[in-house]
Amino acid sequence: MQSSRRPVLRALGVASFALTLCAAASAQQTVNFWYHVDNAENTKIMDDLVKTFETKNPTIKIKAENIPWNNYFDKLFISIAGGKAPDVAVTRLALQPQLLEMNAIEPITKQLATWPGKADLAPNLLDINKASDGEYYYMPLQYVAIYLYYRADLFAKANLKPPATCEDFLEAAKKLTLPASANGGTELYGFGMRGGKGGHDNWGPFVLPQSSFAPGGMTSAKAVAANSWYIDLLRKHKVSPPSAPNDGFNEIISAFKAGRTAMIFHHIGSAKAMADALGDKVSAVPVPSCGGARWTYFGDESTTMFKTSKVKDAAWKWMSFLSEGDNNLKFNEATGQLTVTKSGSAKVPQPERFVKATMDSLAFAKPLPLVPQTADFVSSVWPTTMQRALNGEITSAQMMQEIDKHFNTK
Amino acid sequence: MSKRKHTSILPYVLLSPAVLATVIVVFYPMVQAVITSLYNNILWKPRAVKFIGLDNYIAIWNDPVFWASLGRTAIWIGLTVPLQLLLGLVTALLLNQTFRWRSLARSLILIPWALPSVVIGLMWSWIYNPQVGLLNDLMLRLGLLQTAVPWLANPGTSLYAIIAALVWQGFPFFAIMILAGLQTIPHSLYEAAEIDGATDWEQFWHITLPALKSVLVTAVMLRIIWVANSIDVIYVMTGGGPGYATHTLPLYALKRTYASMDFGYGSALAVSFSLLLLGAIYMYLRRAGKGIE
Repeated sequence: MQSSRRPVLRALGVASFALTLCAAASAQQTVNFWYHVDNAENTKIMDDLVKTFETKNPTIKIKAENIPWNNYFDKLFISIAGGKAPDVAVTRLALQPQLLEMNAIEPITKQLATWPGKADLAPNLLDINKASDGEYYYMPLQYVAIYLYYRADLFAKANLKPPATCEDFLEAAKKLTLPASANGGTELYGFGMRGGKGGHDNWGPFVLPQSSFAPGGMTSAKAVAANSWYIDLLRKHKVSPPSAPNDGFNEIISAFKAGRTAMIFHHIGSAKAMADALGDKVSAVPVPSCGGARWTYFGDESTTMFKTSKVKDAAWKWMSFLSEGDNNLKFNEATGQLTVTKSGSAKVPQPERFVKATMDSLAFAKPLPLVPQTADFVSSVWPTTMQRALNGEITSAQMMQEIDKHFNTK
Repeated sequence: MSKRKHTSILPYVLLSPAVLATVIVVFYPMVQAVITSLYNNILWKPRAVKFIGLDNYIAIWNDPVFWASLGRTAIWIGLTVPLQLLLGLVTALLLNQTFRWRSLARSLILIPWALPSVVIGLMWSWIYNPQVGLLNDLMLRLGLLQTAVPWLANPGTSLYAIIAALVWQGFPFFAIMILAGLQTIPHSLYEAAEIDGATDWEQFWHITLPALKSVLVTAVMLRIIWVANSIDVIYVMTGGGPGYATHTLPLYALKRTYASMDFGYGSALAVSFSLLLLGAIYMYLRRAGKGIE
């Protein structure tokens, strides 16, 4: 009798264990998270962060996906339109107006108010992220400011100081543009201009202090002259490589590292690669002042939560985790950008001179206008008009008219 | 009776999976694209989506970038396909000869065709690079150039530079197709012609070319369609730039759709291009396909 009861009891035991497992599984929440790192090797750092988070929060599972940069935002917008947005994604301020227009993102104002990590955020970062409706949708994650990388050894050899003004910049670029015969068999160009996509942050420091995105701000005589000055760097002074109209991130970085250009604009994200390739030969300063004022691009990256998320509490926990002290530093290790916390800023791993160039730039670093037209300006309007102007197909004035029309036509 | 009925249904049953897949994968998206093209549909303005009839098509008619891209698409197809055909024909005739290492040569010739387009785009971008590129270096050493030319950054040369890369990528397709065709021509025809005193050229003109006609017509049609729609190599090498210099119509449609997120206008561009391509293929088959079953 006893022996016939045993299998029944065993079966009941197995069933109850299975039920417990099922209950635990159903209590577990999965947060889908999209981000990008340039170096795929660095996804291991993200895996470590996920592991740490999941250990602390055993009921939450993070599904982190590294999306290739080239179609990151296309994929994000299409996923939103298709109702398949992730729960949390890394985004940029320039896209906030479009995401708001799509009614796609969830405010985090209430959660921020009671979040203990808020006091550790660097000053002003939350204010910069505040939306036009007064709500907060973005949690600061990392930031950069564009500055000037220059070849300290070549500047010393030519007895030049790092440029503080547009005029200094042109003078240095001219002196450092050398034919192959005068530079050990390799042509050297003073300025590695980025004429392709993303080059608006090279153009901005020269043109935007003397123009504005308001109606007529791009077509004033001063603005058109500033743009002509920039175009002339390639067309008249020939201080940039002839491939400049098509050059993008990879081309300008590789030419600088290979010693074919003496100055380029980029941010701290490439500091480690620069220092590894050139050591003490490379240094950095804030962008030069043009027309008596300075402007440089403030590049932010934040996390944002999507309205379609069914696990908003878990999503918030993950977002806030990524922006806290050491976790944020670890995330920045994967991207090479700067931490958003006060406690972390003393521990940043990048060489001090590049951190200083970034900090010195913050006083005049600004994002592009927070309007829906900005995204298309960056991806289409600027590269197309700039390339045409650099090749002489349109004039400086025509380029500026196109930009003015893009921002100011209802 | 039942056997005849069974026979008449069987072809439809066998064809239905392929037809169903085509309807789902091809026809449904095509119909959807036509419908989208009749709307003002900018992805980030979901509240402003509205039916606008043919307004997108009227805007295309007045869009100078469309006409410039159409002209470039004609150059793109008009140069790439004939050059690939010519190079493929010469290669196939050579590979049809008997020589040592012929099997190896036949395998190696496939390499450009087998490489992914992204690899080809990157490889040729570096070949054309004015500072470190092989082409400029060779031409400077041979004295053909005085200064390096930015082949891809110059609007006068960029499209032709990409065409050269695509010719290199695509000629093995023609070579292999034509080689297969050549091997079906009976050798006795050449022997008879030789006895009649026909020269090599006459044999090629009167035997080889007519025998290859059906292969050539089909291969050219396929390549016209593929080359017309091919944007990957352009996208990798120049992204459509500098300016609009390497914009072909499909690339323009892609950029309007994804970079500007204007799905209505982008779909109208895609539909217009599809109709133009269908028209061109129809005309081609009417002229070149005469006498071919």
